[in-house]
Amino acid sequence: MTELKHYFAPTSLDQAVECLKDGDVTILAGGTDLTPQSQAGRIKIKHTLMNIRHIPQLSGITLEGTEIRIGALATITEIMEHPLVKEHLPVLIEACDHFASDQIRNAGTIGGNICNASPAGDTLIPLLVLDACVELASMPESKIYRHCMPLSTFFVGPGKTRKSLCELVTCVRIPLPAPGHVARFYKLGTRPALDISTISIGVGGTLKQGILSNARVAFGAVAPTPTRASQTEQALEGQRLDAATIDKVAAVARDEVKPIDDVRATAWYRKEMIHNITKRILSHVAQA
Amino acid sequence: MNVAEKKARIIEPETLIGKRIQKMDAPEKASGKTRYIHDINLSGQLYGKILRSGRIHALIKSIDTSAARALPGVHVVITAADIPDQRPIGVAKDHFPLKVGRVRSQRDEIAAVAAESEEIAEAALKLIKVEYEDLPVISNPEDAIKPGAALIHPEPHGADGTHLHLKQGMSIAHKGKPDNIAMRFDYVHGDVIQGEAESDVVIEDTFKLHYVTHCCMGVSGMIAEFDASGNLLMYSNTQVPFLHKREFAEYLNMDPARIRIIQPPIGGGFGSKLDIYPFEVICLYLARAAKRPVKMLFTREEEFLASPTRQPVLLTLRSGCKKDGTLTFRQVHTLHDNGAYTSWGATTPFVMMQTFSSLYRVPHCDYHTAAVYTNNPYAGSFRGYGNLQATFAIEQHMDMLAEKIGMDPLEFRLKNAQDAGETTGQGMSFKSCGFKDCLNTAAQRSDYSRKVKENTANRSKPGNIKRGIGMASMLHVGGGAKIYPSDGCGTILKLDDFANVTLITGASEIGQGSETVLSQLVCEELGLPISAITVVNNDTAITPWDVGVHASRTTFIAGNSAIGAAKKAKTKILAVAAKKYEAAESDLDLRGGFVIKAASGEVVVELSKLLRNLHFQDKAELVMTTFYYEPPSVHQDKGFKGDVSAAYAWGTQVVEVEVDTDTGQVRMTRVTGAHDVGRVLNRLGIEGQIEGGVIMGQGYALTEDLMIENGVMKNPNFRDYKLVTAPEIPEMDISFIESMDGEGPQGAKGVGEAPSICIAAATANAIANATGVRMFELPFTPEKVYRALHGQTPKLYWKPWRAE
Repeated sequence: MTELKHYFAPTSLDQAVECLKDGDVTILAGGTDLTPQSQAGRIKIKHTLMNIRHIPQLSGITLEGTEIRIGALATITEIMEHPLVKEHLPVLIEACDHFASDQIRNAGTIGGNICNASPAGDTLIPLLVLDACVELASMPESKIYRHCMPLSTFFVGPGKTRKSLCELVTCVRIPLPAPGHVARFYKLGTRPALDISTISIGVGGTLKQGILSNARVAFGAVAPTPTRASQTEQALEGQRLDAATIDKVAAVARDEVKPIDDVRATAWYRKEMIHNITKRILSHVAQA
Repeated sequence: MNVAEKKARIIEPETLIGKRIQKMDAPEKASGKTRYIHDINLSGQLYGKILRSGRIHALIKSIDTSAARALPGVHVVITAADIPDQRPIGVAKDHFPLKVGRVRSQRDEIAAVAAESEEIAEAALKLIKVEYEDLPVISNPEDAIKPGAALIHPEPHGADGTHLHLKQGMSIAHKGKPDNIAMRFDYVHGDVIQGEAESDVVIEDTFKLHYVTHCCMGVSGMIAEFDASGNLLMYSNTQVPFLHKREFAEYLNMDPARIRIIQPPIGGGFGSKLDIYPFEVICLYLARAAKRPVKMLFTREEEFLASPTRQPVLLTLRSGCKKDGTLTFRQVHTLHDNGAYTSWGATTPFVMMQTFSSLYRVPHCDYHTAAVYTNNPYAGSFRGYGNLQATFAIEQHMDMLAEKIGMDPLEFRLKNAQDAGETTGQGMSFKSCGFKDCLNTAAQRSDYSRKVKENTANRSKPGNIKRGIGMASMLHVGGGAKIYPSDGCGTILKLDDFANVTLITGASEIGQGSETVLSQLVCEELGLPISAITVVNNDTAITPWDVGVHASRTTFIAGNSAIGAAKKAKTKILAVAAKKYEAAESDLDLRGGFVIKAASGEVVVELSKLLRNLHFQDKAELVMTTFYYEPPSVHQDKGFKGDVSAAYAWGTQVVEVEVDTDTGQVRMTRVTGAHDVGRVLNRLGIEGQIEGGVIMGQGYALTEDLMIENGVMKNPNFRDYKLVTAPEIPEMDISFIESMDGEGPQGAKGVGEAPSICIAAATANAIANATGVRMFELPFTPEKVYRALHGQTPKLYWKPWRAE
């Protein structure tokens, strides 16, 4: 049972953030997480259900200066097919290519994937590797207020973020990767489609003459949130990707993560996989 | 009249047998027009919902339904107290639909509501207050047989310790059970001690088979309505309408003649609809009390929680052979986790012991099962019926024995494989047997022997991907199974005056394609196109008796029955034609919708015209026939011996895998199957049947795992219960061995269960071939495989135990 009393489908951002002022609102975008979670009783639909799908300001994928802006309503399919993403952010496409199924990709949005804040959320790992920021909009008085927050500080726990109840995610902003930037994503599960990660790994950085700088490493499904791995990044920073370094970095990665046992895997197996797959990805990057 | 016009029309011979015939229900299903039980709504209908325990093992101290009864829109709320004449259901009559005094598993039914909407019914459930007193949980069958173990079915007592005055009855539900042993099976032929003494090599291993469930796309459901005269009409997905009609009558204490069951198209069966479950009886109670139609549909979560599972088994197998490759003996002990109540899962030993005693020639065989009560979910029948579990153990031992004596595993199997004409120690008589053809065909088409050696040599080479190939074979009933005094099926056939034929059969269509195959058989006899037939197969008020869809029996039994009725119709038609056209009956035949001269194919008369002539006369006659087929099989004796099926199906499947040693992921790349099906009737149908079975076997082997911890189901959803999805389905190469069974309809044998049986066993052998590591516990999930590859899996051992 739900307390749902009102359904609201705003057609502008103003209307939406105004509606959010009283906080007692459940936001609907693609519905691919909200529907099963509310039916299973894990999420309670609040007083107002607000469908944000008719707000044009939340759509589109554009280049704005040195940033690529992906609107919160961009579906996984739109992202996969967009020329800007294909050209500049291929690692995001790798993740989208392992995202659920075609049907869910057609409906599910990137804003939804971010706000669902699953430790295993597929797009979150490449977004962390790409230094993405989340843009949040609210209406404290009578005007829209926007601010950006790095994705690496956005998540606080499973399903929990630093977004307040009166804020709406409008887009993610991703700085254009520097020349020589390489990034890889790997998702490990029981089957290739329609699976929740057992673990996922993203690695990125700038590769010049075999040396990796600005190293970024992110792990999924090994902590309460998708997480950057600072020790692993430090071990990687400025290093030449030879076999000895790769072995060392993989060992640091294994020791850095503190996963748990659940229905998908034990902590022991997750740590082993963090080690083995980190090693595999770094070997691929070294050959790039 | 000129000469050209008088030239006789010739109808060339043609056959429907072995052709690719589209399933008759395919257009409706593919276009979304099929009306499943979910789509049927009766005027005035209420919605039924069940309150389940949530506790695993507890005494029911009190149930307060007053708030639920007071909720507007609620018509009926029932608990066991409202049904004083409740009778126990199930194979062992150990199970009241609404629980009395005690709950024994998570899914147990406490109360039920019929209301004007699903939402109101759900809300009413939340208003029911139940007080429990928790009891210790037995979730491991090994604990259930320990001396002094708590009893799952003690003599019933009320919450205050006083004896519950249940209506007197002799069942376990009434009297209790003084131990936790639900059922036991003990079989022997020969003398295993002598067999072991004659052996050069003896091995013993323990195998562990897990919980999986059917995952029918259509969740379970029923609609029940009593008319003003008290007659009951049920819309039900049962696969056993006639036997269940009688059982339902018993549970309702009513005359079975006043029950009618209509079976709407079914969204998947696979054995899951072979028993009567509490929800069905509860739905009837609600409809009876409400005096309104009541519809009850499971949610997907409920479908996981409250459906039967495949039988989990702990099994220790001891096998021996001589140096020359002759099998000497097999000794088998199994512990079946029966769960809280007894359904068909407990009887899987009927099938399992056949595989141990008779798949290969084995002079000495000793088999023991104890099915023991726990607080876990209970197992029902599931495609393959114990044979996946038995084959998993046997076929791994075949590879291991071959390796011990240094013999090629294919040669070892061929040496011990059964031939046509043999009668096994268990009394099964193989009139047709294509086993060796299956072995050779599957081996040749997969290049098995070369790849086995090549993969073994490649194990130590660098690289994280290791290839493996493995083989397994199966024996299963293919001509029905005489588990009841009768294994028969009736047919009624009628021809109308347009030469359209209506086939009225007792055989239920549960998606397996029976109506299409039966139509082919009838049209083949009557020389009619497949478009000239209508099948009626889903209403007990119309269709003749049948014992249900199980044991891969429908094509064989209902097929022979349909042919029998068609032959009688043909005889009658030819007699009429012979008289009218002054020819000998034996010179005439039916072909292409005409009566023809058998020798030349020359048209005598159009069949529809002949039939109209027959109808439009003062001594009119109809062509309507009936036939009842009972197979020449026998009921097993008390020692489980006897030729239980009229024919036996054989098959060999070769599985190829790639194992990623970095992750433990196993990719099934190719399945090469050879199946002795007697004869292919509908090539399209049988290919679909085999492919679907292979995928079901693949899920059992690699991904599907219903996780139960302390009686609690951890993953009652498709997110965490992982069915195989399209990208993982392997390439398949399927061959059919046509052994032309003498008793089979057009030579065919049953094949419904066969394709799912070997896959897990062959996968185990393939992983061993790839990595040198043998795995004894399913499923082969990445973590399990990775652990095994890294020596993190302790050796499984269950000390053989048998009930006293």
